[in-house]
Amino acid sequence: MTTFTVPLEPNHPPVPEPTAPGARAISWQGVRTIAVLELRQRIRSTRWRVALGVWFGLVGLISLLIGGAFAALGGDPTWAFGLVLMFVLGLGLVVAPTLASTAINGDRNAGTLAILQVTLLSPADIAVGKLLAGWAAALAFLTVSLPFLLWSALLGGTTAGGFVLSLVVLALLLGVVCAIGLGFSALTARTAGSSVLTYVAVASLTVISLILFVLTFPAVTTTEQVQVHGIVEESIADGGEYRCETFTDQREVTHTEQTWWLLAINPFVILADTGAQPGLDPDRSGPFEAIRAATNQMRSGPPDVFEECWLSSYAEPRVDDAAPVWPWGLGANLLLGAAGLAVAIRRLRVPYRTLPGGTRVA
Amino acid sequence: MSTPLPAGGPPPDPIATAPPGPPGPPAGAAPAILARGLHRSFGTVRAVAGVDLAVRRGSVTALVGPNGSGKTTLLLILAGLLAPDHGSVLVAGADPASSALARSRIGWMPDSFGTWDSLTAVEVLTTMAGAYRLGREEGSARAWDLLRAVHLDDLATAPAHTLSRGQKQRLGMARALINSPDVLLLDEPASGLDPRSRIEMRALLRGLAAGGTTVLISSHVLAELDEMVDDAVFLTRGRTISAEQLGTGAGTRRWRLRSLDPAALQRWAAQAGVPLVADTDTPDVEGSVLVDVADDAAAAALLAAAVGAGVPVVSLAPVSGLLEQAYLTLDTDRR
Repeated sequence: MTTFTVPLEPNHPPVPEPTAPGARAISWQGVRTIAVLELRQRIRSTRWRVALGVWFGLVGLISLLIGGAFAALGGDPTWAFGLVLMFVLGLGLVVAPTLASTAINGDRNAGTLAILQVTLLSPADIAVGKLLAGWAAALAFLTVSLPFLLWSALLGGTTAGGFVLSLVVLALLLGVVCAIGLGFSALTARTAGSSVLTYVAVASLTVISLILFVLTFPAVTTTEQVQVHGIVEESIADGGEYRCETFTDQREVTHTEQTWWLLAINPFVILADTGAQPGLDPDRSGPFEAIRAATNQMRSGPPDVFEECWLSSYAEPRVDDAAPVWPWGLGANLLLGAAGLAVAIRRLRVPYRTLPGGTRVA
Repeated sequence: MSTPLPAGGPPPDPIATAPPGPPGPPAGAAPAILARGLHRSFGTVRAVAGVDLAVRRGSVTALVGPNGSGKTTLLLILAGLLAPDHGSVLVAGADPASSALARSRIGWMPDSFGTWDSLTAVEVLTTMAGAYRLGREEGSARAWDLLRAVHLDDLATAPAHTLSRGQKQRLGMARALINSPDVLLLDEPASGLDPRSRIEMRALLRGLAAGGTTVLISSHVLAELDEMVDDAVFLTRGRTISAEQLGTGAGTRRWRLRSLDPAALQRWAAQAGVPLVADTDTPDVEGSVLVDVADDAAAAALLAAAVGAGVPVVSLAPVSGLLEQAYLTLDTDRR
């Protein structure tokens, strides 16, 4: 018979009296254990470095091309920061879904989830730990693009405050995508399914919402009696001087104030709104100001008085851009992310009463 | 601290700071695992349909049953991963479904499990220690102790994906022991182990049991179980059909009788009225026959009679272990 040491005491005094791991109970040690585990696994895969390298090259190339194009054309380099930031956001929205959208069903398929669920870790520990790890990976991509963002910002086009706010909001948006992916990974059995669903969610926020906004135009357009400030016809007939008066007439009115939120939840709109410099003429500044002005116009809907007096006294309709849109959009996105996290926590709770279709416990 | 001890002796206590308790559980103590009327269905499949179970504290108990009899489902319920549709469970004195106390006292090793491939063996264990809220130094010390116990200390810094199947199985065992559990639930732990590792595992489990740990082990390697379990629980179609302490010489068993002179053996058996059965399992071996014997005493009497009659008997031994025989009677229920 083999002999060996048995360091296995059953009366286990070293294990501290545990506290009940409720579903929402969360502990820093638990979160850190999971986050370190996830990050360790990520960092040790060499593909990770390649991905960061490719990212660096891609963002760098695009930044140089943008900067070079404006220099060559003698244009305004203030567009550079806006374009580079949008490019980083777009690339981030492509990469972020892969970072967390297989975190739970992938582990379940690999047989490494249940062994954590039987421990003193709470479902919230596991979910938040995985989310933090995924988010940290997304932030690594953001960090790699920082030199180019900084360089383009120095060309002009934003303020120091706008720069910092844009980066913070961009980081949060990438975290939201990770959280949505985490939620889907807890909902579906197959990793391919959750990845696709996460991409669909990102597409819904960015492209489909925009298409919907346009397609709902007929639904929110009505013919109404409105106040119009325009040229009075009798003044022409009388041969007199052109005069503008305010009168009541029928006009087609598109009530975009009912659908503007479809724009507001768009990450690109949110980011543009944070980076835009208030008070700039949208026609003669960067992409941020243009997007912001358009969004604000849609938000306020039809004006109280339709301005149709195209005479010398014509005044450009003033759009109130004092009230920022981004807190609404960011808030909505954060709620979506919170929902994803809540779903993940709920689905990680053991003991299972019902099992998601096609999965087994271990 | 690494003084070798004969397996089965009282385990040393390298981590404990409090004086160790009495080596064995007090007689009549509450069972370590108590299940009453457990039912669990998956859709229309009734995986567990009426399990009653009481496992003695400090015993090694086999969970035996054909494929699909509900062993893994039962272990999942006991580990607190699956809620039973009906019935109650107490493991280590607490409900594993809701109690952190029970969780901290249960070690569970699933039948199929993955490893975090890029982590080293010692990192796998320190991660688990963190999941059980052990401190950093404490977890590290515990991880190294366990690696030595399962003889993986020389592979401690190798990535887990380079380990062989049997080595992963041993790492899985160490992982289940990281929280010094009172109750150890093992689902097919011996699969993939080489003979030496199996013997070591047996010694490990006996050592744990001697220290008061309760072990519930499901396995198809029945011959292995025979040599290490105290009790056995038989499951078929999700029901416990018997739970018994394995005594020796209980019940009629089939023995194999070998003689140098087959003709002499046949003559004697015909005279003495001993019904012999042809040994179809070993047709190559001359003079080997099977005989049903009521108990050990009857076997001894049979042997004395045969030798007394001048039959050159080489060996008389049970064909299969007690567990295997019991298992084979269940086999008709296989689905």
